[in-house]
Amino acid sequence: MTSTAARPDDVKSPGSVADPRRTSWPVLVVFLVPALAIYVGLTAYPAFRTIYDSFFTIEGLDATFVGLDNYRALMSDETFWVAVRNTFVWSFIAPVLDVSTGLLLALALYAGVPFARFLRVAWFTPVLLSYVVVAILWMWIYNYDWGILNEVLRAVGLGALASSWLGDPNLALGALIVTHAWKWAGFNMVVCLAAIHSLPREVLEAADLDNCGWGAKLRHVIVPMLRPTLLNLYILAFIGKMKIFDLVWIMTGGGPLWATETVSTYVYKRAFNWNTFDLGYPSAIAAVWFGVVCAAVVILNRVLASKDRLEY
Amino acid sequence: MAFFSMLGARDPGATPLPRLFARGGLALVIGAYTIYTLGPFLWLATMSVRTTGEISLDHYAWPSPFHWEQFRIAWVDSNFATYFWNSTLVVVGAVAVVTLVGAAAAHALARYRFKGNRLIYAVLFSSIIFPPQITLISLYQILVDYNLYNSLLGLTLVYISLQLPLTVYLLEGFFARIPQDLFDAAKMDGYGDIEIFRRIVLPIGMPAIATTLILNFIQLWNEFLFAVVLITDPDKRTLPIGIRAFMGDHFQDIGMIAAGVMISVVPVILAYIFFSEKLIRGMTAGAVK
Repeated sequence: MTSTAARPDDVKSPGSVADPRRTSWPVLVVFLVPALAIYVGLTAYPAFRTIYDSFFTIEGLDATFVGLDNYRALMSDETFWVAVRNTFVWSFIAPVLDVSTGLLLALALYAGVPFARFLRVAWFTPVLLSYVVVAILWMWIYNYDWGILNEVLRAVGLGALASSWLGDPNLALGALIVTHAWKWAGFNMVVCLAAIHSLPREVLEAADLDNCGWGAKLRHVIVPMLRPTLLNLYILAFIGKMKIFDLVWIMTGGGPLWATETVSTYVYKRAFNWNTFDLGYPSAIAAVWFGVVCAAVVILNRVLASKDRLEY
Repeated sequence: MAFFSMLGARDPGATPLPRLFARGGLALVIGAYTIYTLGPFLWLATMSVRTTGEISLDHYAWPSPFHWEQFRIAWVDSNFATYFWNSTLVVVGAVAVVTLVGAAAAHALARYRFKGNRLIYAVLFSSIIFPPQITLISLYQILVDYNLYNSLLGLTLVYISLQLPLTVYLLEGFFARIPQDLFDAAKMDGYGDIEIFRRIVLPIGMPAIATTLILNFIQLWNEFLFAVVLITDPDKRTLPIGIRAFMGDHFQDIGMIAAGVMISVVPVILAYIFFSEKLIRGMTAGAVK
């Protein structure tokens, strides 16, 4: 990560016109400083400040140093652990749903259906809708009295299964996961499709010649060859779900009974929604979670032995 | 067997017919999934031109008559015009700045050899995995300190920083592939570094820049978390938080919510209709290996 493009022996001659790949420092400053200033001022400094703040109790303008008290309180904060559990369930399990749906959809298009181009564009549409829009739509879909889900269940005689999907603590998280997958499946589909199209033709033709069946081909040829792409997608989905906020906040607000509380919604509640007026404690949660996300990404990258650079 | 003999055949008309039963099953799955993705959206569209009274009689009826005045009411009486222009101002400003700043940085990182090049790239890029909370609370404090809390300018600045890593990442990848010969030739013609950027990199990189522009536009247009924390004044709400606030106040007014949602979705759908390929490519860039 830290290796520089320059070889040690040619570091000394900045601004020499002979090599067009190097330039004078003032030019680099002009090009890089705006971006670095934005990064330092609005990303790096706030991140450090959050970590710094996590050792204080901050009420308005008064900051009292409390050492590790916030972290100690966090360890025994049951709501926090529920939020962590929910977020982990979501982050580890739901990507499987996203990626496998995406792969199956890509295979369907790849099998050469008519209107493939239209379908690809159509299936991608939910990716572009904002979480606010998706959340409102799905709140209506899940509506107990007139939501389409319950209407369909009643119409086919399964009215007993009609539920208050977002109101039942046992169902709410699952309902949110399905909604989230609805939004993101198209993204995974497009990536898988591009990856399938870039597979070497000969291998698939060889599988055809060997009378390889559809399922066997999928298991022994396509999935192994798409492994790097699928892992990449899994990690991408994982990161996205570790940060999930909008959908939960609008659809359930973390309820019912903390059944859908995620770390993000809990931080938001503690910082801006509850009348606790302390920004130190939520900073501690954010700092812990920052560490967890970074560690999880590094570990996943290692464990899944993906040699590819992490994207996103 | 026929499935794979048509590898790479993007034009469906040119492909031979696969086995019939597989085709039937496939068609069924594809049809069902298409309804699943587009259905909710079309349902929303029908509700946006029906009054709430009509909707509560039957949620799934076809609009008759079409109440186009719903949009006028949402636009004028329900403040969606304010939200729309706030969103436009913030997003257009942020996208313009982040693209220019990001392109400059991407060009320097892609073209020039200097000590720390990869380090700077890694630092800028790594923030893409940061959970937003790590900056959210402090940004709130910082904006309060500098009197930028509850201001569209403050939100614009934050949005610039949010999209910077992605912009640098996408553009660096593209700029690095511009042949060095072009730069050598330009140098020989006496172009300065800034001129090279303005007259070679920007025009040649236009397809990638356009992709980045559209992608940044859509992501910021849809942004919710930072807006809801950094804006409280009703007159400064952007569309996502405006809709959310409207929904909070008028939970039962489904027709009006649907009209507001449609107003927020139309620019995105328009961008998508015109640039669908660019957008899909931009969103998936890098995920394919």
